[in-house]
Amino acid sequence: MDTRDSTQARSLLVECYSNLEKVLRDHRDELAPFEERNALKAVGALWQIVNGLEVAPYQLYDVGA
Amino acid sequence: MSSSLYWNPRNETLSRDSIEALQVEKLRRLVDWADVNAVWHAKRLRDAGVTGDTLENLSDLRRIPCMTRDDWMQGQIETPPYGPFLTAPEQLAIRYHTTSGTTGKTPIRVLDSIKDWEWIAEMWCYGFWGFGIRPHDTVFFAFGYGTFVGFWGAHYACEKIGCLVVPGGNMTTEQRVKQILDTGSTVVCCTPTYALRMAQEARDLGIDLAKGPVKSLILSGEPGGSIPATKRLIEEQWGAKAGDTAGMTELGTIMVFECSHQPGGMHIIEDNFIEEVLDPEGDEPVPYGELGERVVTSFGRGFLPVIRYRTRDLVVKVPASECDCGRTFDIYEGGIRGRVDDMKVVRGTNIYPRAIEAIVREFSEIDEFQIHLFTARGIRDEVEVFIEIPDSRVDSETLMKDLSQALSDGHEGLRFGVKKVENGKLPRFELKAKRLVDERKIVGGTGEGKPM
Repeated sequence: MDTRDSTQARSLLVECYSNLEKVLRDHRDELAPFEERNALKAVGALWQIVNGLEVAPYQLYDVGA
Repeated sequence: MSSSLYWNPRNETLSRDSIEALQVEKLRRLVDWADVNAVWHAKRLRDAGVTGDTLENLSDLRRIPCMTRDDWMQGQIETPPYGPFLTAPEQLAIRYHTTSGTTGKTPIRVLDSIKDWEWIAEMWCYGFWGFGIRPHDTVFFAFGYGTFVGFWGAHYACEKIGCLVVPGGNMTTEQRVKQILDTGSTVVCCTPTYALRMAQEARDLGIDLAKGPVKSLILSGEPGGSIPATKRLIEEQWGAKAGDTAGMTELGTIMVFECSHQPGGMHIIEDNFIEEVLDPEGDEPVPYGELGERVVTSFGRGFLPVIRYRTRDLVVKVPASECDCGRTFDIYEGGIRGRVDDMKVVRGTNIYPRAIEAIVREFSEIDEFQIHLFTARGIRDEVEVFIEIPDSRVDSETLMKDLSQALSDGHEGLRFGVKKVENGKLPRFELKAKRLVDERKIVGGTGEGKPM
């Protein structure tokens, strides 16, 4: 992913998004309902940040969001 | 960052070159996504020889064939209920919305996922923030909260911003006016017509809204928010600034918003949409300052990709520099100027004469009909249908009631009056029939005329 932004706060946000997406992609079946559904809500919100950082994030339907 | 004028300070002030580079990058990804996941789009893209890596600049966009509302309707008819447009299983959707169709009772149906709804709200955030709405505001929604997408995204946007949201659904106008005052609402969201309706109700109640707490109105659903006379009237009656927005169910959200500098038009959210302006009769782009048809490509809604959708809306695009707010997003001067086709907007609901005809013709007892649009009590758009019933044995009262219900059902619950007229009174047509008479006033204007 090309973030084109070097500020630490934004890098951390992008990292949060990537980590959350990875959790949902690789470990969704292991999550309790409250974990899974809140993670989906959160990744949908974090997608907006990545989308707003001059990058073109992939869609999230395959992870359920 | 609450002091920022912009919701997304960097993207809203990108150079033109950077905006276009971002759009090309997002377009490539959208095309690749649609090619793999959307049956209908994939065929058209492949037939046109378009893949993401062959798109080098924005002019390459024109290699992609346009999609029309009729394409959408036809796709739904052939592959009900959603057409061959979905890129993900229906089970992933969390919301269903509709807009009036062009061919009768069948609406356009849309689905969106969790992420899509976050994006829908995000687009509204550009507009609310850009008009000066902040977390300390209390926002009242004079909105019915049905399957018409309307202000749903705006509601979530205000929650996201941190405002106190007052959902004013299922209330009388009097109750809404009183609750706006009781809650100290500083912002009201509604259609332009309803802003005037509430102002009238307030006067009847002896309330001077201009002395109340409301400082901003966010308008949508009708062109009135960008008609200077109408906007001026609303601002005078409420003692507040009125900001226009425009969106469409096919996008799920707004694509343009008026900023707090009120430049006489609306900024295009260009980091999330490509808005082309084309010759309505062809595929040639028209330059800045000339009237043309909006053709939209959306980067947000992936569940139902929207690529080069011919909206039939008429607009005039001008450079961002026409506004001194500092945004680099271009502007639709004067908002949505009108329609290429015969669609009309009545209290935020789209109506097509051909769709009404399809419903009327299900009642074989009706010989001739006419659709009449008019302005009631000086402010409110109304629609009624005049009908001729030649057979005196027909139970006219029941028929009129059933027709009114059928028309309403086909138009998101919009109220339709139905009146029987004397046989032979309505005009007959030998060639192209013109069964719609639009006698609405431009509210706030000096004479009669069509609002669009």
